[in-house]
Amino acid sequence: MSFAILLAAADGAPDPMKLNLWVAGTALLVFAIAFSILYFKVWPVITKGLDDRNDKILGEIKAAEDARSQAKQALSEYEQSLAQAREQAQQTIAEAKAEAQRLGDEMKAANERELAERMARAKADIESARRAAVADIHANASELAAAVASRILKREINPADQAGLVSEALGELDEAGV
Amino acid sequence: MSNLLLAADSPLGHVLNGKSMWSEISWVGEIGDVASLHEVMLVLGGILLVLGLMFAASRIRTGRDGQGNERYVTRGRLAQIVEVIVVYLRDEMVQPILGEKQTRRWLPFLFSIFFFILVLNLVGLLPLQDLHHFFGLHHFLLGGTATANINVTASLALFAFVAIQVHSFRELGFLGWLDHLTCGLTKGPKGLWLVVPIVFAVEFAGVFIKPVALAIRLFANMMGGHILLATIIMLPSMAQLGLEPGSGAWFGVSIATGSFAVALTFLELFVAFLQAFVFMFLTAVFISLMSHEEHEDEDHDVDEVAAEVAAIH
Repeated sequence: MSFAILLAAADGAPDPMKLNLWVAGTALLVFAIAFSILYFKVWPVITKGLDDRNDKILGEIKAAEDARSQAKQALSEYEQSLAQAREQAQQTIAEAKAEAQRLGDEMKAANERELAERMARAKADIESARRAAVADIHANASELAAAVASRILKREINPADQAGLVSEALGELDEAGV
Repeated sequence: MSNLLLAADSPLGHVLNGKSMWSEISWVGEIGDVASLHEVMLVLGGILLVLGLMFAASRIRTGRDGQGNERYVTRGRLAQIVEVIVVYLRDEMVQPILGEKQTRRWLPFLFSIFFFILVLNLVGLLPLQDLHHFFGLHHFLLGGTATANINVTASLALFAFVAIQVHSFRELGFLGWLDHLTCGLTKGPKGLWLVVPIVFAVEFAGVFIKPVALAIRLFANMMGGHILLATIIMLPSMAQLGLEPGSGAWFGVSIATGSFAVALTFLELFVAFLQAFVFMFLTAVFISLMSHEEHEDEDHDVDEVAAEVAAIH
């Protein structure tokens, strides 16, 4: 048998384009039955399963986005409140500093005022003490001078003389700058 | 194996439809070729399709409430493969053409026809007839590619034709359907009325040519691929006629053709998926062509043409 014989044998083969209603009818029937079963029993189940999963995934993504949004908002609020607290703290510190400064200034002023008053009072006291001392000196000096003069003169000096001598002595003292 | 193929007398003899063992049963034989190979494979393919997809659907189905996130997980390789195919074809292929609403409406039909063709193509790749010969069962019981039969592809194309026309009349109505067949030219300038009969004749022929093209494309691809494969596998036997069996040249031819046949089988595997997809996809395209959107686009085109004609005048 040669290749030519094979080709010749092919001539007797059935026509591939031959119409066969049995085969066509079987194909129509089988596909119609298969399609009917698949239409009611398979595709609704598969599409529902895929849709459910899709919805689930989309729902999870949305929930995650919502959670992220809420977290972002909470973080923003937290940062905002933190900034407010920080600002409030700064303000409180500034106010405290100002108050401390004010109190310090007041205390300083009061101290200075009190010091000035005390110094004035001390000066006045000193002046009055000085005056009293001078008056005492004057008194003692006049008595002492009268006593000295009495001894020297051997006579009693009456008060009028004594007053004249004292005034004279005081005048000399004043002139001497005592 | 090649000797077994040679027993079929020709590559066509191995690929074409033949009588199955059931045909020799008297009461079956009396009603003609009811139990031919392709008819048996059609029934077998239909059963495998329904059982396989029902099994896959049961695995894709949403589980019980108490299962938590696990209820949404698809288990099993078959179910996962089906799911991947369905999701990809729906989201990437059909939905961009038909839109979401029409996709939901036509998905059961389109995917049924896709998986039906795919199962028949894949089952046709199994060398069942050759195994029968190998084990000495000379009566064909099973085997053959039903989609390599023009009667089968024509029947499937008839379903596609009905689907396309049902969609057309539902979307456009009878007048809209007629208007569509004139490409909306009746709304254009009066001068265009002259070409309306020609356009209508071409478009009306197209209504039938489209499904016929679907049928012939699937049939020719499956038939051609199998004939090529059978021819390549038969080459060693042919070489045996001219070369001394067992010689180096004969071994060389056998190894070369055997390797090429394996490569071609992988190509056939790819073609099995491709042709199923092409049939389904083109049906979807033909359905989408008979929608309002397409019609509006055509009206727009006509308006543009009319404006250009007016400008020329």
